[in-house]
Amino acid sequence: MAADVATDYAIEMIGITKRFGLLTANRDVSFAVRKGEIHALVGENGAGKTTLMNVLFGMHLPDAGQIRVNGQQVDITSPQVAIGLGLGMVHQHFKLVPSLTVAENIFLGMEIVRGGFIDRKAQAAAVRALSVTSGLVVDPDRVVRDLSVGIEQRVEILKVLARGARIVILDEPTAVLTPQESRDLFRTLRGFTDQGMTVILISHHLDEVLDVSDTVTVLRDGAVIGTEPAKALTEARLAQMMVGRPVDFGRKERQGTAGAPVLTLSRVHARDDRGLPALSDVTLTVHAGEIVAIAGVDGNGQTELAEVVAGLRMPSFGDIALNGHDIAGAPADIVRSAGLAHVPANRLVRGVDAQASITSNILMGRQNTAPFAKGGMIRWPRVRAEAAALIKRFDIRTQGPAAPVKSLSGGNMQKVVLAREFTQGKPFLLIDQPTRGVDIGATEGIHDEIMRRRAEGIAILLISVQLDECMKLADRLLVMFQGRVVADLDPLSATTNEIGMHMMGASQNRKVSA
Amino acid sequence: MTDTTAAPSERRVPVWAEGLIGQMLALLIALTGGAVIIMLVGESPLHVYTVLLRGAFGSTENIAGSLLQATPIIVCGVAACVALRGGLFNIGVEGQLYVGGFAAAWVGFTLNLPAGLHVIVALAAGMAAGALWIALPAIMRARFNANEVVSTILMNYVAVLLTSYLTIAVFKRPGGWSETEPIAETAYLPQLLDGSRVNVGLIIGLALALGLYLFLRFTGAGYAVSAMGSNPKFAAYGGVRVKRNILLVLLSSGAIGGMAGGIETLGVHRRFMEGFAPGFGFDGVIAALLANGNPIGVVFAALFFGALRKGSLLMEVETGASREIITVIQALIILCVSAQILIRHRGGISGEKRWKF
Repeated sequence: MAADVATDYAIEMIGITKRFGLLTANRDVSFAVRKGEIHALVGENGAGKTTLMNVLFGMHLPDAGQIRVNGQQVDITSPQVAIGLGLGMVHQHFKLVPSLTVAENIFLGMEIVRGGFIDRKAQAAAVRALSVTSGLVVDPDRVVRDLSVGIEQRVEILKVLARGARIVILDEPTAVLTPQESRDLFRTLRGFTDQGMTVILISHHLDEVLDVSDTVTVLRDGAVIGTEPAKALTEARLAQMMVGRPVDFGRKERQGTAGAPVLTLSRVHARDDRGLPALSDVTLTVHAGEIVAIAGVDGNGQTELAEVVAGLRMPSFGDIALNGHDIAGAPADIVRSAGLAHVPANRLVRGVDAQASITSNILMGRQNTAPFAKGGMIRWPRVRAEAAALIKRFDIRTQGPAAPVKSLSGGNMQKVVLAREFTQGKPFLLIDQPTRGVDIGATEGIHDEIMRRRAEGIAILLISVQLDECMKLADRLLVMFQGRVVADLDPLSATTNEIGMHMMGASQNRKVSA
Repeated sequence: MTDTTAAPSERRVPVWAEGLIGQMLALLIALTGGAVIIMLVGESPLHVYTVLLRGAFGSTENIAGSLLQATPIIVCGVAACVALRGGLFNIGVEGQLYVGGFAAAWVGFTLNLPAGLHVIVALAAGMAAGALWIALPAIMRARFNANEVVSTILMNYVAVLLTSYLTIAVFKRPGGWSETEPIAETAYLPQLLDGSRVNVGLIIGLALALGLYLFLRFTGAGYAVSAMGSNPKFAAYGGVRVKRNILLVLLSSGAIGGMAGGIETLGVHRRFMEGFAPGFGFDGVIAALLANGNPIGVVFAALFFGALRKGSLLMEVETGASREIITVIQALIILCVSAQILIRHRGGISGEKRWKF
């Protein structure tokens, strides 16, 4: 290959292979990014995106293949080398120090020093200068702890720019943002490429990939399926490349109408762990055979709402009735026997015992009741048989019921939780972030399961920060902002823009009873 | 489906074997470290370890001696194990052993009861005393989430000094050393072998270990305790009453620790003596850690520690190595096991586990 051709490219990864033990995470992957473009790298969880970027950023050494940066062949042996070459990575989970200021975080490890002391003024000025050139406005003196997630992400990007990055890699940057914040971010990224910088975007939100990027590379099972201009692709085509089969995206078909109320909250208030008000005056009803979705930016009371309903947090005021039982302030076992099944927001924190086997995890909540227990003794053969049946029914990819849950991928771990909670015949399902960190193929299966429960006449309260998920599944859409339900919308007629405004609190003085 | 960010699902050794290999490695490192120290004091490690082995297993008498030493460690180990499996750390077994031993002895030399019943009442008194001794830390932990590691350690000092005071100032045998009157014969724990003080306590210890294993493995309540131990938020979510369980687990752990003291005073000394059981409680805690909370493993770890204790007597007589070598080896085991726990936690995914040491 001639040298003048190579100079068109900021990054060329040629024939990269990376193995972990028996697992081949990247198989002969070739990936080239032109200078000045936004290049999206897409694929399901486990397709090898993160591994490929970790190889590029010097966190893993490839077993085979070579890397060129701006046409020069390089050995990227550590992140420091990568940074020296002008690469910068914005991780999915922010790595900021909450107690330090914005400027201190940005210059952490490369402080501007004068006379042996940190020169705060110079650092703040440098941050302001960076804000001007990048379009990312932040207050350098604010403490990071007090910032919203969107602003934290700006700081994270500025941190990378301050280290001289010309090639910026963003790993799932919109996972935590509102639609408006996402749009701002993409405008900023476009500004970067206008200045000659190069952006690599890892994502599995198909619509934003198509909207914002110039070129898309799809990975599946560790290999490149194709690299194509975004203009030439459709969502359906892209999803098919990722999953390997056609995927259904539309709003789910539904039959049947809502029945009697199953869950009612009236005027519920609650405090968070620090004792601050987290839920204010929440009134809502979920009927049998109905999916009520709670949309909102993470941290606006959804967690506390779920905990109050599930018997994991005491409400400070208000009534909660489930299936005719008063459950306000009742412990979780009472709420469960009143009719709750619960898919928690964070499976690793609450949904599973990762060290234990699938069988053991399937049992939770039923260890004292028939058919899995009799006279206080667990009937393990029955539990094992149930686990085996659920593994089959929910297509959980595992070596068997005895495998520890921690050996499963995120999507399969989530299926263990769903399998346990969806099959208990409870009249009410509380589902919190059902597809967080789950790939498209598995997401579709989970959505189908939720719709099946709805058709069976189960009342479902769905909490999700993914607006498209709410739109796709909900019969009614409630928006939460700062602990209140601020809007009750029909997902068929509401626009993304309208919902986004509610999520940002544009309607906060209006109180809604749902 | 594979996931490159999580551990690959291929697993060459089963989980239990992985644990066993880790513990064996800890033992090996500890014994090697002990060997280095033996060399530093100018002895041959091979010789010292051979004598140690002979002292522990060289004759029927020595084996009986090892079993005698192992008995209280087994019971204390089960006590620590109960807490450990519930995600709690009862480092106050030593204190519960002391108060339990004293209470059982007191029943033994104060009450007049028929044989058999007397033993049972005395052991029950030991258990009650042990449970009472952990009640304060247990309530503080369940109610206010106060770290039980610190509070149970502090209770140890009170227990040792209080029983000391009671022995010397209140119940001292006239003309005796710092010991109480002997207990009535009706309160003796029956011996298993002639010419050795190995007693029914060994059987009780083995039964407790087996019972705990079965409880954790096969009952709904045991399942709830295990789940609470490995992920308390998961247990709470599934409807386990975590606070109540914390209280029950710690009280049971304390009761078994108290029973260990009762077995020592009723079966071995037949009176309460100041300093009657040095370090058995701590050895039990270490045995539980080494066994990674597995009650069956606790038995083997306790037998190992019992053999070390017994063997060290001959070792001190026949070689220049001091008995404290045993303490060094145990300390190295603790180091290795806690390093292991640290590694496991660092690699852990939930990141929310409470740090224990």
